[in-house]
Amino acid sequence: MSSVHNTPNFDGWRALILHRPHQNVDALFAQCARIGIAAEQAWPDFPRDRSAEEFNVLLIDADMGHDEQFPWRQGEAPLPMIALIGSEAPGRIAWTIAQGADAQLLKPIGSAGLYSALMVASHSFVRRRALDRDVAALKDRLARRQELAEATALLMLRKNCGASEAYQHLRLTAMSRSCSIEDVAAAIVQEFENHGLKNADHGR
Amino acid sequence: MHPGVFPFRLEAHHFDPAGEADRYAPFCRQLIREHGVRHVVGCTTSWSRKEVIPVVEKLDALLWYPCVYEGFEVSENLIYVAACANQHLVPLLDYIAPRFGSRAMLVGSNYIWGWETNRIARDILHRSGGEILGERFVSMGDTDIAHLIDEVREKKPDFILNNLIGPSSYAFLRALQALAEADDRFHPDRCPVISCNLYEGEIAGLGHAAAGHFTVSCYFRTIQSPENDSFLKTLAALDPGAVVDAFYVQAFSAVVMIAEAIARSGSDDADLVRAALCGQAVDTPLGAISVDRWTNHVELPAHIGRAGADGSFEIVKRSYEAIAPDPFLTSTPLVRPLGRDEGRPELKVVK
Repeated sequence: MSSVHNTPNFDGWRALILHRPHQNVDALFAQCARIGIAAEQAWPDFPRDRSAEEFNVLLIDADMGHDEQFPWRQGEAPLPMIALIGSEAPGRIAWTIAQGADAQLLKPIGSAGLYSALMVASHSFVRRRALDRDVAALKDRLARRQELAEATALLMLRKNCGASEAYQHLRLTAMSRSCSIEDVAAAIVQEFENHGLKNADHGR
Repeated sequence: MHPGVFPFRLEAHHFDPAGEADRYAPFCRQLIREHGVRHVVGCTTSWSRKEVIPVVEKLDALLWYPCVYEGFEVSENLIYVAACANQHLVPLLDYIAPRFGSRAMLVGSNYIWGWETNRIARDILHRSGGEILGERFVSMGDTDIAHLIDEVREKKPDFILNNLIGPSSYAFLRALQALAEADDRFHPDRCPVISCNLYEGEIAGLGHAAAGHFTVSCYFRTIQSPENDSFLKTLAALDPGAVVDAFYVQAFSAVVMIAEAIARSGSDDADLVRAALCGQAVDTPLGAISVDRWTNHVELPAHIGRAGADGSFEIVKRSYEAIAPDPFLTSTPLVRPLGRDEGRPELKVVK
């Protein structure tokens, strides 16, 4: 997220604490106030009339938490998430891992810990998001390998050339149209399916 | 300030961990459990403070910490009777950079104070158009600092931020004095050393090696004010020969605050004592100070002093307003107006 030299500033952030009313929540409210964060408490469910975009960070209860609390699929929290861990029973830790918690805080909550948890959580959330994007892009490209192979073969036939020249043609076309190679390949395959090899040869 | 004014006497138990980090927690536990102590005044390094915090939190005592530190901490069982970074480093850079330039060299002892204070300085200078020419750390107690001096000579900074402590700091200042004698470019008028924790108690032994360099502090012995005059008079009778500096006065003020809070609340209970100080100022030699209820830190002025060879500071900038504590630097802008102010009159040379 930021370089190690940047002093993070959480002033103006909004936090949602999904935890039953408790001394630990009061301690979190106090820690939030100190670093400029407006905190709200709710239990058990993520409030139905609220959206994740309204919050910068979510704190969840590892002791009593369950999947049905959240309006998103397990592991897909759209905001940084900090697990509040009391019982260190492996099953509960596994549950927080499955939720995709970005950082953790051990109970009882005292006067410290939130600041570092926020730094870790916001950093790993950014990394988690970037990874998700990269993986989605790679999956998409994998899924379209078949089309790319077909388009290369079509071009080889049409231009009576080798595989590398055909691929080079795809690459240059993609560059000139500012789109992906997979998109060019899909267009060529589509055109062939519509008009056959002869017509597919006309054109770009 | 006025001994005898309280209808009780505080009984002091004194333990000296002699700077050994591992002794602080057991001593503190012993004071609380075996001697019935509820209020512990002490710790200098952040390292020792971190050792004591779990003990006072568990045994529900209060630690009164009388030293400047780097911030990023708030414990319910601690009263911070000294400045955090927005009350020391920030006003110090605000004063120095416009006068000397903002090309800095950062030096520090190898522990949290040096690391974090230098990091904040780096952050501020980086955001404000300054430049970090070098950053070096030495082990605590290490006096082999020739490589630091070589780097200063080579890089010619506008100023040097000194977060070295103890013998390393003294060795550095003495070696820099020798360099300045050989090359006028490194005279304090052109390349001052600036510190957030180098006070009268230490510069007294440094003489000319400290002269001309700058320190920021909520207290200097040379501050002229009715409170300080009366404090110094009282002290001449109470503790003649004391080397009075910010550390001394912060610890003294902590004890005044303990007594006043006990008098107000009628109890020495940690929560009641803390509550008795929130929002209600106490007169101390540091001025009237109150404890911020959110952070347990105190509002403090930030004076800038220039060291003389006689062990005292000339106040070059007096702060008339207390700065509210901001230990997490959430409300302190880190982009500072650090541009060089050419219109400022030349500082006079300290011989």
